[in-house]
Amino acid sequence: MLLKTVFGAKGYKVIKNGIWSEHPISSATLGICSALAVSNKVENAIAMSAGVVFVLLLTGVLISLLRKLIPSRVRIITYMITIASGVTIVDLALKAVVPTISEALGPYVGLIITNCIIMGRAEAFFVQNDTYHSILDAIANGLAYTYTLVTIAIIREILAFGTLLGFQILPGTWMSWAIMAAPAGAFFLLGTFLWVTRTLADIEPPGKG
Amino acid sequence: MKEKICMIVFVLILGSTWTTALVVVDKYTRPYIEKYQAEKLRKSVLGAFGISYEGQDIEAVFSENVDVIEKGDKTIYRTKSGAIAFNITGSGSQGPISGVMALESDLKTIKGITIVSHVETPGLGDRVLEKKKLDTFKGKKIVPQLEVIVAGTAEKENEVQGITGATLTSKAFEKLINTESKEYISLVSEGE
Repeated sequence: MLLKTVFGAKGYKVIKNGIWSEHPISSATLGICSALAVSNKVENAIAMSAGVVFVLLLTGVLISLLRKLIPSRVRIITYMITIASGVTIVDLALKAVVPTISEALGPYVGLIITNCIIMGRAEAFFVQNDTYHSILDAIANGLAYTYTLVTIAIIREILAFGTLLGFQILPGTWMSWAIMAAPAGAFFLLGTFLWVTRTLADIEPPGKG
Repeated sequence: MKEKICMIVFVLILGSTWTTALVVVDKYTRPYIEKYQAEKLRKSVLGAFGISYEGQDIEAVFSENVDVIEKGDKTIYRTKSGAIAFNITGSGSQGPISGVMALESDLKTIKGITIVSHVETPGLGDRVLEKKKLDTFKGKKIVPQLEVIVAGTAEKENEVQGITGATLTSKAFEKLINTESKEYISLVSEGE
C-alpha cells in the first residue's frame, strides 16, 4: 500500500479512520447541526467545509503543540479559547486583507467556531497525539465532513432548485421540491446517508457496542 | 496544591496571550477594515441608485452624483434628480440586516435596494437578500405599505413575491423596509 509507506502505519490508520471507519458524522454523530443547516446548496457546502478543514488544521497544530502543558482539568476551556481566538484572528486578517472572501464567509464564522467536530477531535485526538498525526487526523476528518456535506448538498440543490452550483441543469418545467431546501429534507437525506455509510462501514449504532 | 497553582498559571498565561494577540491584530487591521466599510457603503448607495461605478474611482463618482445630508444622527443621500437613499437596519430572522434603499423622487417608488451585511442562513433566508431577488423590488410602491407575499402570488403594485422556505426572513425584511422608509420619509418631508 502506497499510503502506508508514505504516511507510516499509524498515519495510514489515522487517515482511514477519519475518512471512513470512524467518520465524524456517521460514526461519532458530530457536526450534525451544520451538516443539516448548510447542505442546501453546493456552493455553501464547499465554503463551510473549507472553513472547517482550515480551523481543524489550526486547532490540531495548536492543541498538539500545547498538549504536554495543558492541565487535564481545564482542557475544554483551553480548546474553546484557542478555537475562538484563532478563528477571530483569522477572520480579522481576512477582513483587512481580502475583504471579499471574508464577506462570503461572514455567516459561516459562528457556525465554524461552534462546530462540534473541532472540539471533538481536539478532545479525542489532538490532545493525545503529536503534531504530525494531528495534522493527518485534521485533514482526514475535514475530508470526511466535506464529502458528506457536498454529497447531500448536490442532491438537495438539484431537487430543491433544479440547479447545481447555480447552473440550471434540470428543465425549467421541473417542479422544485421546496421541502429539500427546508430542514425536513436535510433530516431525511442525512438519515439516509448515516444508514448507508454505517451499513457499508459496519459501524455499530451507539449504545449497542 | 502545586497542581492547582500550575493550572491557574496556565489559564492566566493562555488567556492573556490570546487577549494580547487579539488586541494587537485588532489594532492593526481596524484602519483597513474601516476604509473598506466606508467604500462598501458608498458602493451600496451608488448601487441602490443604479449608478454604475465599475472600473471608476468610487470616491469621484460618489461625490459627483450624490449629496450627503446629515439630519441628527441620520444620513440621507440625494441625487441631482431628487431621488433619495438611506440606511435600512433592523433585525432579520437570524440577526441584524443592514442595507441601503433608494426611493424615486416621488418618495413612493423603490428605486433599488442593496444589502451591506446580514447573517441569514445560507441557502434559506439569504435567498431573499440575493441581488436577483432584490431586483424584483424595483418599481414597487411602499404606500400604503410594501407587502411580501409568501403564500399566493404578488399582483398589486405594492406586493413582492416572497420565497417559500424563507418566510421569516421575507417577513422581517418587509417590516424593516416599511419601518425605515416611513421614518426617513417623514424626516425628509419635515425638513422642507
